[in-house]
Amino acid sequence: MKTRKPAALLAAVTATALLAACGGGTKAGGSAGESTTLTLASIDQGSVEDVVKAFEKANPGVTVRYTTSSADQYQQQIRTQLSSGTAPDVMSVWPGNGNPGATYVLAKPGYLRDLSDQPWAAKLPDAMKTVAQYEGKTYNAVFGQNGIGAVYHQQAMEKAGLTPPDTWTGLLEFCRAAKAKGTPAFALGNQDNWVTQLVLYALVATTVYGDDRDFDKKMRAGQATFAGSPWATALDKYLTMEKSGCFQKNPLGTTYEASQQLAATGRTLGIIQGNWVIALLKQKNPKATFTLKALPATDDPSGTIIPAAAGAGYAVNAKAKNEKLALKFVNFVMSPQGMNLFVKKQGGLPSLADTGYAVDPSLTEFSTFIKTDRTVPFMDQLWPNAKVQQTMLSGLQEIFSGQSTPDKLLKDMDADYQAGS
Amino acid sequence: MTLAPHEHLEDHDRIPGTAPVDKARTRRPRNTPPWWFALPALLLFGFVVLVPSARGVYYAFTDWDGLDPHFSFVGLGNFADMFSDADAKQAIWHTLLIAVSITVVQNALGLALALGVNTAIKSRNVLRVFLFAPAVITPIVTAYLWRNLLGPEGAVNSLLGAVGLDGWRQDWLGSPRLALWAVVGVIVWQFAGYSMVIFLAGLQSVPKEIHEAAAMDGAGPARRFWSVTRPLLAPAFTINLMLSIIGGIKLFDQVYALTGGGPGHATDTISTLIYKDAFTLGEFGYSIALAVVLTIIVAVASTGQYLVLARNERAAS
Repeated sequence: MKTRKPAALLAAVTATALLAACGGGTKAGGSAGESTTLTLASIDQGSVEDVVKAFEKANPGVTVRYTTSSADQYQQQIRTQLSSGTAPDVMSVWPGNGNPGATYVLAKPGYLRDLSDQPWAAKLPDAMKTVAQYEGKTYNAVFGQNGIGAVYHQQAMEKAGLTPPDTWTGLLEFCRAAKAKGTPAFALGNQDNWVTQLVLYALVATTVYGDDRDFDKKMRAGQATFAGSPWATALDKYLTMEKSGCFQKNPLGTTYEASQQLAATGRTLGIIQGNWVIALLKQKNPKATFTLKALPATDDPSGTIIPAAAGAGYAVNAKAKNEKLALKFVNFVMSPQGMNLFVKKQGGLPSLADTGYAVDPSLTEFSTFIKTDRTVPFMDQLWPNAKVQQTMLSGLQEIFSGQSTPDKLLKDMDADYQAGS
Repeated sequence: MTLAPHEHLEDHDRIPGTAPVDKARTRRPRNTPPWWFALPALLLFGFVVLVPSARGVYYAFTDWDGLDPHFSFVGLGNFADMFSDADAKQAIWHTLLIAVSITVVQNALGLALALGVNTAIKSRNVLRVFLFAPAVITPIVTAYLWRNLLGPEGAVNSLLGAVGLDGWRQDWLGSPRLALWAVVGVIVWQFAGYSMVIFLAGLQSVPKEIHEAAAMDGAGPARRFWSVTRPLLAPAFTINLMLSIIGGIKLFDQVYALTGGGPGHATDTISTLIYKDAFTLGEFGYSIALAVVLTIIVAVASTGQYLVLARNERAAS
């Protein structure tokens, strides 16, 4: 019997120690909300660091504790944190609807603070307001906008003796000429399924919205569907491009990373991507020059439209531990200094007109399109749920691998769209 | 059997003529410790694993979106939805296909490797380390490594081209026909060494004398393997098959990093579907229902397998 007592004691001590450890952990977590510390979760890896530094410099004594993560990881993390009450004071939020970290999705259950009373809220252009607001209130500090188009490697183009096409016929000729010279026109990294949508969006902008700016309204009212609309035309053109050799071999086995490598080193003449890819291409090949041009989808160059949309912005947690500092940070992001810092590093364009931002030469055409109102938001930003986009992404991979057809994809997207929010 | 030092002492100190009954009695408490010794571990397991899991199962019967504190009870609705969900049916099929092929190939290869490095060849120690090495790398790292190696311009295709097998070059991860098998190949590459080590431990516990006796009785190598080695390896088979079937059924990280379940849904497993439905689409209720089904499949498969193998083990010993 002698041996039993110490064992029981040991067990009790172990259990107590464990409980104490748990208790200690909770306490440590709770003490983080001092008035000079701001917590921040961001997806702007590579650019938010500079903004945080500038913010800390402008506000001596303030410390920003921040984390950065990739989009899909972030969406999972932020939802878990919000529902368990452990979310940071300020967080990245996507504009509009249609993804798990989007403004509508997070504002609806009341997780975000209303930012309508902030000075910049009223100044946002209308196209931005539709995706930064939910039920008339502004929740998302959208600081930049992005566009999708053809990014050309200037030196590779000169070497091939080719110029960017501005008509659909010209595009196919360009692809054939490029292929004949042994350098495919565009790199396409469709193994990462989000990449599959970009060429389609670039074509849909012109084929769908060129003639009908109210297509989204009609969709919402149930007067239009994907199937039987010019979406089918765009999808058909996407496949025509693939058949005409516009892309390198095996796009489905090529990752986003590998596609950047191809375009940066001039093994393709360009890449159809968002403007954000330019900074990445420059990192991989600092000597080359890259320019973003609109991707033509018809033979009328004046009818070409670029998909351009508010990029992810920042929202304030409705239960922020340090609301005052959180608002200060968001307002800093929306000030000319913060906005320009962000936008310059990311290679986009600012969302407000009066920041005195000097547009990078690679984005001159994009900037002109914005000024002349020849842009439409990314298609998914106004879709009623996240499923439509996911169906489209895996469906496009299936079409490229012969497992599905364009008709089936558009019907599936209609079914998901009609299922509502 | 080796004896602990004090038992030697006891043996020596024993008064000649008395039976060694004493020893058995003094040893008993050490063999059967009181049940509550396990209490701290059981409590911890209960609070960290059982209680949260049980509470999680509740959500399988709701339409919770993972975010909104307001949700409603939908009964068995989520489970019923699975029958009409083509993605779920496909994922279950892929999961079973992967689990069975990994179990068979990985263990066959592991056993072959174990037999190989259990011989007297000179470099056997180096080979053992070399073959086991992939198993100590984080799965996600090997997956990213292979994602590059298997790319259209990757090392695998370059190698095939270099040795004149241009016709064998494939879009390994981009073709729905090949992607699933590429995933299986990567996992077998990584864990065959792991199975090997367990088989090797089993092989080394087979006494040489038995082999020598069998050889003297005229049994050839094949016969010796079948009648001597195989039955004595039964425990190693049990543990290896259990580990690989459970690992195969709940496979997530390698698939997600290699193909993301694509192209399309060609490599989606139950686990990748759970992840996508929950975290991309916000259908937590449905996702948890899928997870419950996965748990049941794992439980049934592993218990069934254990019962069969344990019976074989008893029959063998």
